[in-house]
Amino acid sequence: MESDFAVYTKDLVKVYDGGKVAVDKLNLEIKYNEIYGLLGKNGAGKSTTIKVLTTLMNPTSGDAYVLGMDVRKKANAIRKRIGVVQQDESFDFTTVENNLKVYSMLWEVDRETSKTRINEMMELFDLEEVRKKRAFEISGGQKKRLQVAREFLHDMDLVFLDEPTVGMDPEMRRKVLDYITRRAHDGLTVLFTTQILEEADYICDRIGIMVDGNIRAEGTSKFLKDKFGKLKEIQVRLSDDSNAEEKSRVVDEISSIEGIEEARLDGNSVFILGYEISRKIGKIAMVFEKHDIGIESMESSEPSLDEVFLKVVNS
Amino acid sequence: MKTPSFIRLAVRNIVVNTDPGTIFFMLGLPAFYFLVLGTMFQSIVPGVSVNGSVVSYTKFLAPGIIGMQALTAGNIGGSMLWSDRRWHMFEQLMVGPFRRLDYLLGILVISTVFTFGGSAIMLILAHFVSGAFILTASSLAFTFLALILGSFLFTSVFLIIAILVRTLQTYNVLTILIYFFLDFASTAFYPITNATPLVLRDISMVNPLSYITNIIRSSIDSGYVSSVMTESLVLLVTTVVIMFISLRMYSRLKTVA
Repeated sequence: MESDFAVYTKDLVKVYDGGKVAVDKLNLEIKYNEIYGLLGKNGAGKSTTIKVLTTLMNPTSGDAYVLGMDVRKKANAIRKRIGVVQQDESFDFTTVENNLKVYSMLWEVDRETSKTRINEMMELFDLEEVRKKRAFEISGGQKKRLQVAREFLHDMDLVFLDEPTVGMDPEMRRKVLDYITRRAHDGLTVLFTTQILEEADYICDRIGIMVDGNIRAEGTSKFLKDKFGKLKEIQVRLSDDSNAEEKSRVVDEISSIEGIEEARLDGNSVFILGYEISRKIGKIAMVFEKHDIGIESMESSEPSLDEVFLKVVNS
Repeated sequence: MKTPSFIRLAVRNIVVNTDPGTIFFMLGLPAFYFLVLGTMFQSIVPGVSVNGSVVSYTKFLAPGIIGMQALTAGNIGGSMLWSDRRWHMFEQLMVGPFRRLDYLLGILVISTVFTFGGSAIMLILAHFVSGAFILTASSLAFTFLALILGSFLFTSVFLIIAILVRTLQTYNVLTILIYFFLDFASTAFYPITNATPLVLRDISMVNPLSYITNIIRSSIDSGYVSSVMTESLVLLVTTVVIMFISLRMYSRLKTVA
């Protein structure tokens, strides 16, 4: 069973010395060649899960297998086949180029391959201009790029990326995500954590939303949106001559309709959040009509992954 | 053929730690002691008695300066662990193709290389300033033994500090304090005689640098004296005890801060 998955955990628990339960009976199945996104608020247990899976920490109980190998028994063998970009900045106190050279030497990448890959990474991650600068002199975003570039110098079967795009500008973020996707198409399995939900939406084959050390919801981005995205929002743009007091009464009245979670006034628009809202359009329109408020337009938006995320973590 | 993991880590340590500041610290300070303090005191100290014969002050000082290389290299070794923990490289390396022991061996190898490299340079420098030393097979063997034990011992001492101390300020203050304390409360700079204050005599007796210096001094200044065996034994036991404590603490060190 465990060998069918790149990552497999069964009732995995990690309790810290102080008694804090960081991972609580986690069941995770990540297929080979999959990009799996682990989402969750700070302290949800994402980084601890990665630390256990990368053999940095021993699990308190339960099972964890990486590439078919038990993390307790085959830690050395696992580490030879994985790559890890940790959340914390890490670098050697030497130049950017030396950082990359030393790292590929540590991973025994042969000289010619290393040279080619370093040049590729320098170009891809826009590090050429800081090539000769010492790592501590470059910006936070550049350090993160160096950290990611470094990890892709060596061969591996599975990479753990713990918030790899922190501090990067949108263009660089997109470049990094596209690169990860390309590598996944070439056979790499990716476990990816991020706080930026659009990123997960963009590259992940499947997403798991982690709450209090366990997966609360899991599936493809579309599946999650369909399942949890019934909470929709509509924006009603009002005509300019509407009376302010009447508008406020309308908002109160709409809020009291069953299934409406929230109605708020923002400038000349009323934003209404609710379940199966399309069925309530008639009722909502009648409220406006009753108070003699003209409607210029009414727009409904598709649920975003953010909405799904908030719905799951707050449920 | 595959290069062993600890050798790759040792090479990393050389590349990462061979900045001009480290080189200056390693070679500059002892050379400064030797050239400036040595020649200055030579002008006011006519000669120093070593194992029954009188030698020039620079010749007396040279073994102390050579022995100090083990202390300096140990300090550099300890700072590698501290720095790797502080900048999360220890954590990063521990998710790579290495075992904890490889990392420790990588540091010990590099401390030993720095000890012998620095000692060789100091010996050559001293040779030109003070004249020839007695370099026989036995004097070289005991010097080698003293330096290798000294290197392991001081690396272990500074590794313990690197494990215990978290802040840069405390780490710097402690290492500087230990460095200067061991340097100046030893037989490296002056002979211990009946005229030496009792406190200094006592401290010098328990200071491993005194034993390293005495072994080297007895070997390359005098050829061989019988006390070398006893002092080597004391140094060996001290090294084993300190290394054991250091290894135990290192094995319990949490990878994740």
